[in-house]
Amino acid sequence: MNAATSSGTAALLEVRGLSKRFGSLRALDGVDLDVAEGSLTGLIGPNGAGKSTAFSCIAGADKPTAGSVRFRGREIAGLAYHRVAALGIGRTYQIVQTFADMTVLEAVTTAALLRHPHLRDAVAYAQDVLAFAGLADKRYRLGRALTIADKKRLEVARALATDPSLLLLDEVMAGLTPSECHDAVGLLRRIIARGITVLMVEHVMEVLMPIADHIVVIAAGKTIFTGAASEAVRDPRVIEAYLGSPLEHREIAEHKP
Amino acid sequence: MADAGVEALTTFEQLLAGGLLAGLVFALVAVGLTLVYGVMDVVNFAHGEFLMLAMYATLGLALVGIGPLVGLPLVAIALFLFGVVIYRVFIRRLLAGPPEATVFGTFGLLVLLQGLAQSLFTGDFQSVPHPPFQGTLRLGAVALSQATLVEGIGALVLTGALFAFVEYTETGRAMRAVAEDRVAATLMGIDVQRVNALAFGIGAACVGAAGALLMLSFPVFPTAGASFALTAFVVVALGGFGSIQGALVAALLVGMLEVLGGYYLAPELKMVPVYVAYLAIVLLRPQGLLGRR
Amino acid sequence: MRWHLLALGAIVVLGAAAAFGLRDAVTLDLFFTLLLYAVLGQSWNWISGYAGNISFGHAIFFGCGAYASALCVTHGLSPWLAIPAGALVAALLALVTGFPTLALRGHYFSIATIAVAALVDAFVRTQPWLGRANGFELPIQSGWAALQFPDKGPYVLLALALFAIVQLATIALERSRLGYYLRALRANHAAAASVGIDERRWKLIAFAWSATMAAAAGVLYAQYTLFVDPPSTIALAISIDIALIGVVGGIGTLWGPAAGALVYVVLAKGVALRIGGTGKGYDLVIYGAIICLIAAWKPHGIVGTVVDALRRRRGAADIPPGATGTA
Repeated sequence: MNAATSSGTAALLEVRGLSKRFGSLRALDGVDLDVAEGSLTGLIGPNGAGKSTAFSCIAGADKPTAGSVRFRGREIAGLAYHRVAALGIGRTYQIVQTFADMTVLEAVTTAALLRHPHLRDAVAYAQDVLAFAGLADKRYRLGRALTIADKKRLEVARALATDPSLLLLDEVMAGLTPSECHDAVGLLRRIIARGITVLMVEHVMEVLMPIADHIVVIAAGKTIFTGAASEAVRDPRVIEAYLGSPLEHREIAEHKP
Repeated sequence: MADAGVEALTTFEQLLAGGLLAGLVFALVAVGLTLVYGVMDVVNFAHGEFLMLAMYATLGLALVGIGPLVGLPLVAIALFLFGVVIYRVFIRRLLAGPPEATVFGTFGLLVLLQGLAQSLFTGDFQSVPHPPFQGTLRLGAVALSQATLVEGIGALVLTGALFAFVEYTETGRAMRAVAEDRVAATLMGIDVQRVNALAFGIGAACVGAAGALLMLSFPVFPTAGASFALTAFVVVALGGFGSIQGALVAALLVGMLEVLGGYYLAPELKMVPVYVAYLAIVLLRPQGLLGRR
Repeated sequence: MRWHLLALGAIVVLGAAAAFGLRDAVTLDLFFTLLLYAVLGQSWNWISGYAGNISFGHAIFFGCGAYASALCVTHGLSPWLAIPAGALVAALLALVTGFPTLALRGHYFSIATIAVAALVDAFVRTQPWLGRANGFELPIQSGWAALQFPDKGPYVLLALALFAIVQLATIALERSRLGYYLRALRANHAAAASVGIDERRWKLIAFAWSATMAAAAGVLYAQYTLFVDPPSTIALAISIDIALIGVVGGIGTLWGPAAGALVYVVLAKGVALRIGGTGKGYDLVIYGAIICLIAAWKPHGIVGTVVDALRRRRGAADIPPGATGTA
């Protein structure tokens, strides 16, 4: 079912030996991961494992200390943030980063301007994306006036409006109620159906298991597991990594949202 | 030739001493500013006008027979209370608004206080009658005016006292906790509003003391504080907003550069090396010398 | 947008009528000053309001225009030439100084603008060909070719034309890629980069246009007062006046600078004239008090408050109480 990562298929994103130090702290210490074109790959790991730092280094928000990030075969490690976005990598933030004093439509239009430089075209495209993301009826709300679930949805819509070929989603389900989670999964399925490749960090295993083609587990800044989701929960290294952190273990065991 | 060399060296020593003493006064003014910034993220653009008020207060005391040094604690206490009141009735409201509100709110205060001084005390330059410490002190080849020396040493002692207060007292620890993380400090049971008011009061008390010291050698007029405050802004930015140690280092650097610039370039160009240094340093380290990102 | 154009049209018609109809030199002078400051405030608003980089050195671009005018006229060239020349120099100055400084955050940028402006001021004061500290007195001429007039009406017309151009440019800005990008950068520069916005590039474009507008105002000012020196054109005090006008009206709004200029001219200058307060400080007390009141009670500025109120009435905003200014 998920032969996507087998050597035959070229990976859209190839990360090798990604390392990032903040002073003496090694936030990332050799992360390897592949994301096959058209797949949904889950990136999990205990708190502090370096998932968000890895995202930042891939997206260009942070410069990795060492290692390589290849996107469509092109080296992008250390490239300016906005250039990585222009190459086709969109992202959301773990802690939402809205354009607070813009309306939903304005925020998504801003993103759409990357591929549609004329405002009229960008607004039209943004309307499409908002309809796709289920935010059309809230398009005149201010970003700061939205609920958490809608702010996360807005971040996804904003990233989608840049027409990415790879979408990095950082805990888009965190803090959502079960019914909001259900809606978010629906949106996720539509995104995949649209042919967009997704790499997502997620704590809610229950959500990730049925939709992820592939799971990468990192702990203490290193990749410790790569494979199918069903194997991940049985892998001794993964269990050990999570047992080291009781809270995380509980989350993984209880499938707590 | 040798004589000229010795003379140049002496001049240089003289300038360094002058720069150091000037820097110590800047440090006292700047430390108050950076403390307020560190605790509540507010740049008080009226800081120089607080200094001006302190100078007028010192003048007033001198006119009833209380000299600047005796008056210093009185002026510092008065400015502390003034600062607390200004925080409670005004700054607190600004903090509830968008970030730019504190910028132009304190600018409004600057304009208002300058206008008040202008209408109450006229624009004339006024000095303390019969100020003490008018002699000159020779240390080897270096000659220093006693007043400047007292100003520098007084500023050093007071800056040191403030540093010790922030570093070693319970209240100082609370201030650092609020500066570090406001939300966490609230959860720890620290009354952030009280700490803010206190920090604003102490920031004002710093210029209260500085104002009393400066009256030993400077006249007061409605815009007397503005140039000191401008230098203090550069000092605070150069050192890194919110960093007390950074402000100390930067103040000494700025004091030296200003005195050297005034001598080797031209008196009206004394700030040129200061600004060049600011731009050069901040382009390499956007967070200032010792600031946090 | 239609309402904005109608309002601008009404202002132009009324202003032109006043320029032709009024003979009172004092009123015309206030009117000219109002329009000039509205232009300067809008120019500042581009980089500091829409883009969010608060500048305390904007007067140097105004100075570029004023000095271009003085140099052209004293060298026997047409003052009309000073408009493109001053604008070009201002734009280049904005690009050269903006390239390294626009990446600085918050107050670090603001202090850098003070530093740059002080260095420009010091440079002018040391250059004989720029008149050092003494500045220039422009020789008296007359007529459209010399851009000088015996009465104030034509100056008001020219200021009105410049104001209209600047307002139209700002209406266009609000409906352009640049305008959206600046607002996004101001709101959240990291999120802006994540949707492909190159901060330096777009802010430099805005800064250059902003400097161009201020330079045009500088040319007009020099032709009006026929005297140019550092304190009247590039000093810190002028920069701060410009910034205050920008914030009092409401930063990042189309009509904010005009409203701010109105407060400044009518209340600060006008009141000072009526009660004879100039030099006594009453004008400063009143102006300072107004700024304090607006900062404490209407922190989004005059126009910002109106915009918020309109949005609330349309029911489009749903702003929860106390949610202002935070993400």
